[in-house]
Amino acid sequence: MIRPEEIKLSSEENGKWGMVIDQDICTGCQACVAACAMENNISFVGEEDSGYGRAMHWIRIERFWEGEYPEVKMTPRQPMLCQQCGHATCEPVCPAFATVHSQAEQLNLQVYNRCVGTRYCANNCPYQVRAFNWRDYQRPEPLSNQLNPDVTVRRMGVMEKCTFCIQRIHKAQDQAKAEGREVQDGEFTTACAQACPASAIVFGRVDNPESLVSQLAHKGHGVKHLEELGTLPNVTYFKGG
Amino acid sequence: MSEQFSRRDFLKLAGVGAATTAILTGCGPASRYVKREPYMQMPEYNYNGQSTYYATTCRECAAGCGLIVRTMQGRALKTEGNANNPLNLGKTCARGQATLHGLYNPDRVTDPVKRTRGSASTTAVDWDAATQVVADALKNNKPEEIAFLMGMAPDHLFDLVTDLANTTGINAPVRFGALGMFESRATLSKAAENLFGEARMPFFDVGGAEVVLSFGANFLETWISPVSYTRGFVGLREAKTKLRGKFIQLEARMSSTAGKADEWLPIRPGTEALVALAIGRLASELRGGPMPRAFSSVDPLDAASKSGIKLEMLEHIAELFSGSHVALAIPGGSALGQSNGLTVAEAVLALNAVADNFGKPGGVYFSPLAPNQTAYQSPASAKEMQDFIQKMADGKFKVLFVHGVNPIFELPASLDFKGALKGVEQVISFATFPDETALESDYVFPDHHGLESWGYQRVITGSNQSVLSGSQPVVSPFYNTRATVDVLVTAAQLAGGAFATALPFKDEVEFLQSKVAPLMSEADGFFSAADLNTFMASFQQYGGWWKLSDGRGVPGTADVLNRNMDGAEAEFAGEGEFFLVPFVSPTLAEAGANKPWLQELPDPTTTVMWNTWVEMNPETAHELGLEDDDVVRITSEAGVLEVPVYRYPAIRPDTIAIPYGQGHTAYGRYAEKRGVNPTDLLVQHFNEAGDLAFAGVKVKIEKTRQEAASFPP
Repeated sequence: MIRPEEIKLSSEENGKWGMVIDQDICTGCQACVAACAMENNISFVGEEDSGYGRAMHWIRIERFWEGEYPEVKMTPRQPMLCQQCGHATCEPVCPAFATVHSQAEQLNLQVYNRCVGTRYCANNCPYQVRAFNWRDYQRPEPLSNQLNPDVTVRRMGVMEKCTFCIQRIHKAQDQAKAEGREVQDGEFTTACAQACPASAIVFGRVDNPESLVSQLAHKGHGVKHLEELGTLPNVTYFKGG
Repeated sequence: MSEQFSRRDFLKLAGVGAATTAILTGCGPASRYVKREPYMQMPEYNYNGQSTYYATTCRECAAGCGLIVRTMQGRALKTEGNANNPLNLGKTCARGQATLHGLYNPDRVTDPVKRTRGSASTTAVDWDAATQVVADALKNNKPEEIAFLMGMAPDHLFDLVTDLANTTGINAPVRFGALGMFESRATLSKAAENLFGEARMPFFDVGGAEVVLSFGANFLETWISPVSYTRGFVGLREAKTKLRGKFIQLEARMSSTAGKADEWLPIRPGTEALVALAIGRLASELRGGPMPRAFSSVDPLDAASKSGIKLEMLEHIAELFSGSHVALAIPGGSALGQSNGLTVAEAVLALNAVADNFGKPGGVYFSPLAPNQTAYQSPASAKEMQDFIQKMADGKFKVLFVHGVNPIFELPASLDFKGALKGVEQVISFATFPDETALESDYVFPDHHGLESWGYQRVITGSNQSVLSGSQPVVSPFYNTRATVDVLVTAAQLAGGAFATALPFKDEVEFLQSKVAPLMSEADGFFSAADLNTFMASFQQYGGWWKLSDGRGVPGTADVLNRNMDGAEAEFAGEGEFFLVPFVSPTLAEAGANKPWLQELPDPTTTVMWNTWVEMNPETAHELGLEDDDVVRITSEAGVLEVPVYRYPAIRPDTIAIPYGQGHTAYGRYAEKRGVNPTDLLVQHFNEAGDLAFAGVKVKIEKTRQEAASFPP
């Protein structure tokens, strides 16, 4: 049952689930990338396809260089993942309605069994966070024992991307519903945030002003990437310095 | 139907059948009499679609982080950090995440085998025969002819073999690991002994500091306990009670850790001790009072000209260092892997005496001694390994047992472990994976994977509390493997005599209980119990046992600055024009190359996957006429490597760097014939503490006509 106050909250804010990433403390250790791959059954593509840029990281750590030796600096590491835009550029270009906006979670969904592989969405994503299955990538036995039964295994010709671990969201919601309560802040989190040794990634309800992620997001010095495109991202970054 | 067979009977039988199936497909630790304890009190295997969570300990490195593994219907699905464990507080690194790719690796050793050394083909033996082989090896050789070479984890097996050695007179087990070598752990504990009178592992409270000065310590990557030190780094940047801390890293090549520093200073390799002493002198001058003897002989101007760091910069650092209430200096990594590494460690530790931070928040402590730990035993240094290898070559050992370490890959080829194996009559490996050393063994009696194992690991550093991380099988063994402790216990019984009295245990669990039981009477544990079964149940449920109090020690500081310190430069082996800095790959480390997802993680600094590269300053590359992916031949006194160039903007023009982690000739399909191993270039060149001077080698570079396979072509 939806309670009246929940409707009010949702209508006030752009989306329910959000993330804050603190680049000042991200060490670029890749724990989030590995955790994401393990949670979400992401295929590894091997050396050759990696060389073609087909590795299917749903989250990646960007780093750039500033200056020249010896005054060279590595820019603060920037974990980049689907920004779960409120006004996503990937959505209107899909001819198959495979990339649609979820009203319930305010997320960008990727419906694998609708996807016909036009790759228009990846073309149109300003964050370049979508990964395409160029092949049926092999998992030699018994590696498949590790697959997460809560997450679909994708096949060739299908686009995929970060889902904010929607399987975890649903599991927490089901649990809360069974116990007749609301999902508590911090009750669960995404795989990347859970692994992050620096706790640089914080995930939660951005429409709940009491939640940690809301309080961080409203701290003032957060930025949203490519905000000028009007994409209304749900991920806030703190620039390192 | 000739017999009466009622519906009720049928249902009874069907019920029995279902129960049997549940046991067989379930992940009960087959044939154990102890029940495993889920992390939460969940009904085990009763509901389809429900996950069960077990606490255990990560074996990807020796730090001992606690894990919670999600399992479902007997399969391990996901590892997470154990939020209770005081070391990692619920966090993991990338290697901890990928441990499942080891468990379900398609190239594991599935059965005990006998092989002709070096041959890929094997003959299967059964476990009874295997145990008999071990028993005969123990019984038929003199005690001094029996040697054990072990990895830095797990500790329970090391303790078992230590007990065996103490009772029977066989050689005490020797521990080694490439991570320990690249961390120069022996140097660090030797420096602590020289300065503070105790060979204990120092703990650097990065989180409480305001200024951190690190000489090559890559503590955000693989250094000793990276998950814990990352938490410290967050404290440095974000603690609410103090200003945002400053972090300065001095090293010739910007590591991923240095990439997070406010200042990276490309110091000339070999001048670390000189620079540390110069900063000490300048900081002491700023603080006033008499000049400590340690810094009295150093000339900062000389240090500046030799190290390539401007005097103003040294003065600026000294000002930061002396001006802060909580300044901290950390020695580590390539700074200690020099011929004068011990002096570097002492000089850098002495800086902490200037900051007067011993035993204070933001300063240097001694790590708490873990339960069961009497003294910190640093793993064998490369020099000690050299002696060990010499004994092997001289035929002093008739039988060598190898567990948890892959010395042919992890030790520099110049030490010739492989050649020395010829002097050992019988080599028995307990490897889980078909690594290079297993390939050169007579027998491989595979141990379970860490997630299928019992055990414990002492937390050497990284936590304020004294921690023993416990392991339990989270899934039943996937293959026909057997716990090495069980093999040794059974073999000792078969061998009889002193061996049987040394290990009077029914099996591994009984041994484990005998080691854990004394903790019941210890005060201050975060749980306790009156009887052993309850205590063990909690031990398994929570993933270990730890004390609640702060167990860190305060280093004795009386004499630290009142000693002569020599700022002489390090000596380098070889005639080449480039300094070579081998560094441990932050994602692969020493044993990650067989896990496909670790191979596909981009290196944090270069973003390279699946290969090895040599980092070179773009200016240098330009002078040599080299572009990215051009293959160069690198020659040291010890060997030659061919490796593609990666132009790296943050490295000294006179230095090249190669990551360590690839270059396997065995170790499964994802590791084999991929990249190169930079330890092939390392010569027998040691520092005063016996650690390898791995960063004390000079090399030559030649261009070849080849170009690395690049995609798209």
